[in-house]
Amino acid sequence: MRNLFLFLREHYFYFLFLLLESFSLILLFNYNEFQGSSLYAVSNSVSGSVNGMFNGISEYFSLRKTNRVLVEEMAKLHSRIPEAFYASDVNIFYKKDTIVKLEYKYISAKVISNSTNKRNNYLMINKGTLHGIENHMGVIIGNKIVGQVVSVSPHFSWIMSMLNKDSRISGKFKKNNQLVNVEWSGGNYRKGQVKEVPKHVRMVKGDTIITSGNSEIFPEGLLIGTISDFSNLQDENFNNGEIFFSTDFNSLGYVEVVVDMMRKEKDDLKASFKAH
Amino acid sequence: MTSRTVFYNIIRFFFLVFLQVLILNHINLGGYINPYFYIYFILLLPFGIPRWLLLVLAFLLGISIDIFTNTIGLNAAACLIMAFFRPLVISAISSGPESLIGDTPTLRNQGIKWFLYYTIILVLIHHFALFYLEIFRFSEFMATFFRVLLSSAFTMALVLISEYLLYPKGK
Repeated sequence: MRNLFLFLREHYFYFLFLLLESFSLILLFNYNEFQGSSLYAVSNSVSGSVNGMFNGISEYFSLRKTNRVLVEEMAKLHSRIPEAFYASDVNIFYKKDTIVKLEYKYISAKVISNSTNKRNNYLMINKGTLHGIENHMGVIIGNKIVGQVVSVSPHFSWIMSMLNKDSRISGKFKKNNQLVNVEWSGGNYRKGQVKEVPKHVRMVKGDTIITSGNSEIFPEGLLIGTISDFSNLQDENFNNGEIFFSTDFNSLGYVEVVVDMMRKEKDDLKASFKAH
Repeated sequence: MTSRTVFYNIIRFFFLVFLQVLILNHINLGGYINPYFYIYFILLLPFGIPRWLLLVLAFLLGISIDIFTNTIGLNAAACLIMAFFRPLVISAISSGPESLIGDTPTLRNQGIKWFLYYTIILVLIHHFALFYLEIFRFSEFMATFFRVLLSSAFTMALVLISEYLLYPKGK
């Protein structure tokens, strides 16, 4: 026993290193499960308030651009109000309220931290559970997709951007509804990969890829990007393509969180099937 | 270690953490280059520091960065590996303990050749650990390798610039 202690004392440096190193590695590989847990929420609110403070300063530098975007958005909305339409037809058809039900609601939020240079990129926004945000909600900007919520604290949400190794978006070709998967393999933040394109689908440069609506995160028809390059693989069952993202991830100011009002119903339906 | 050294190191710790999370993490050149200048703190710790303290400080430094980037454990693991190799690197590149001048590893004290070896090896160790732990797959080996080399060069440049600015020759 005494020898053991002597041994430990002599080589304490190596043991301390192994102890601390394994502790950090355990944290590293488990932290995906930590999301939403108390530890994560604490670190979220600490870094959130510091980032928010810094962002409050840096916001001033982009006021001109923000203004321009807001004006554009306003013009777009103005063109949609009923007064903007010329009544060319005297027969007006009313839709019954019970037929049309609100399915998606949007919460606008400000991006307070963002990155595009890591292999796994995340964003933080200044809205959280208090504003009705929950895990696995989609995040969009205009009609383009950004990512999905992976962790929420009362005032902030942590969003996995599409520029992430764990992000896989279900998309489809606008021209023929063929389903594909969109991923990002690092490097250039404007370009991603389209995986699992069936052999019989003829890709053309400039083909538009939109969300499929299959994933319950994004509504159908949001822009993901356009095909910029493709390869025909001989030995595989699928082809791959390169996609140019419509979203400029480096200039996100305000984003919108998509709330699917019928999500619970969809989940319940699936759960009830699994229960049988 | 005098209390002056302790004081300077505490200030340096906080300064580098905030510099890293508020400014350097937002730097992104060509989608590849991303400096991790905060490890300058580990490089500049005095020679005579107890080795357990070296590891504990490296862990604290890494975990502080991790809290701000929400990568709990990633920077801590990389910093620990770097701190673990620091005593080995120092003894490998110096001819003996008596050849080390002064009590901190600075460019002015040790000369350009020694300091270059010292930083290149340790920065590469740290960046290799950090980038490969972040990816954790070998399918993107070459792209990551490229990122490691470019980012290391950038970090190295920052370290050398601050060495020349903070410790000028004729002081």
